[in-house]
Amino acid sequence: MLPRRPAHGGHLRFDPFRPLNTTLSDPSHKPLFPRGPGLGLKFAFFALLSLGLLIADGRSSGMTPLRQWTAWTLTPVLWLAGLPQMVASGVQHLRSRESLLAENRELRNTQLAQEAKLLRLASLEAENQRIRELLASSSALSDRVLIAEILSTSQDPYRHQIVLNKGARDGVYRGQALVDASGVMGQVVQVNPTTCIALLITDPDHGIPVEINRTGLQTIALGRGDGQGLSLPYLPGNADVKVGDLLVSSGLGGRFPAGYPVGEVYELRHPGGESFMEAIAYPRAKLHQGRQALLVWSERAAQATGDPPPPEVPIDLRPKKAPATSVTKPKTPTKP
Amino acid sequence: MSRVFAFLFSLILALMLQVVELPDAVAAVRPVWPLLVVGYWALYAPQMPSLLAAWLLGLCCDVLFNATLGQHALALVIVAAILGRLRGFYVVFPLWQSALALAPVWALYTFLVFWIDGIAHHAAEPALRWLPVLGTTLVWPVFAAVFNGLRAQHKRDLSRLRLP
Repeated sequence: MLPRRPAHGGHLRFDPFRPLNTTLSDPSHKPLFPRGPGLGLKFAFFALLSLGLLIADGRSSGMTPLRQWTAWTLTPVLWLAGLPQMVASGVQHLRSRESLLAENRELRNTQLAQEAKLLRLASLEAENQRIRELLASSSALSDRVLIAEILSTSQDPYRHQIVLNKGARDGVYRGQALVDASGVMGQVVQVNPTTCIALLITDPDHGIPVEINRTGLQTIALGRGDGQGLSLPYLPGNADVKVGDLLVSSGLGGRFPAGYPVGEVYELRHPGGESFMEAIAYPRAKLHQGRQALLVWSERAAQATGDPPPPEVPIDLRPKKAPATSVTKPKTPTKP
Repeated sequence: MSRVFAFLFSLILALMLQVVELPDAVAAVRPVWPLLVVGYWALYAPQMPSLLAAWLLGLCCDVLFNATLGQHALALVIVAAILGRLRGFYVVFPLWQSALALAPVWALYTFLVFWIDGIAHHAAEPALRWLPVLGTTLVWPVFAAVFNGLRAQHKRDLSRLRLP
């Protein structure tokens, strides 16, 4: 390869075919006669381009393809960034026989205890189904789920998001609920072809309708933005809330399936001079620990997207003869 | 040719370092790697298309963080333009002094991102916002020294090859 510039420290010769401005030996000098647009013009171009993007993205959803394609292009970067984590978990797999045996014993005990619970659950579920049929409620207990792997978590301390390895190709939709083994994690906010981005319930932009399991009090849990807490603002001053109360998703709004644990109240605050009370809760889901999460298809969304309705719908029509049994529950829309 | 390769490689490395997982305690002070890389090339190699790189890198950041498109792009382009203009002022300092003198520029970047977030109604903890400025300022001298060293080494290798 021919050197285009004289080497550093090499003597300069007169060469009529070389442009004058390259005879400065240090390449970091500004050229004497710059070609192309100047710094100011280039800056104006890129700044205007960015401003245009900002305005277009704020006003409409026309930029979605650009976002999706860029996200698709950046998948290798995400994969590379996840490598250290993968290696670490790979090393964790190499364990001693004793620890494996101990873990096995522990898991067997847990399974035994949970099977005993499940035995009761089967009969309870059947009973619940019968009672719901009597009430003409069409909400089913079983949901369709899909296991997704967490590719990366957002490293901005002020933006609580995770990237999952399932996308539009797996039928993920915007607004889909995300749970883990112990509670609700968040919801999908951006769907790309092979990945999706989910907003965690601790993000300050996020709110989830909840009910207090003990009393059935309906309220909304907002993220506090500190990465750990949920806030239940504007509770009535005399509301029956105690430290240790379990919050479950209420299913109002139809975005989250009902009945999943969300958090646990750990502090009550009465600001002086205000008629409202605020409760602070910790999320139940292990937001920053697992590598897997479950995407849940809630029933209403499935109906909205045109899937065949579940078979128990005809049962809705029967109790119309007896209007006395039609208990008005907010989450069951009465069908014509 | 190899300089172009190093340029592209540093950009991808910056994106990767920005999303790699760190313990919670350190993550809040994580330096803004795209900012460091764009700042370095704007200061020490003005013949590189640092404005274009800043814009593309910013766009990638927007997509990775799911922010409003153009937010990080605008902030990075402004920083690259300022550093390109004030080059003569910054390169004469020794490294540790330039690290201090550059802190306001990093703060400006953080403020721009913060400001656009405010317009887009994205609530955030203001205290945590400014910690990356500290991280970036602390990492800058090390980062610039390592990159300068690598480039000087490369240049020496090239001139040795050409000598005969």
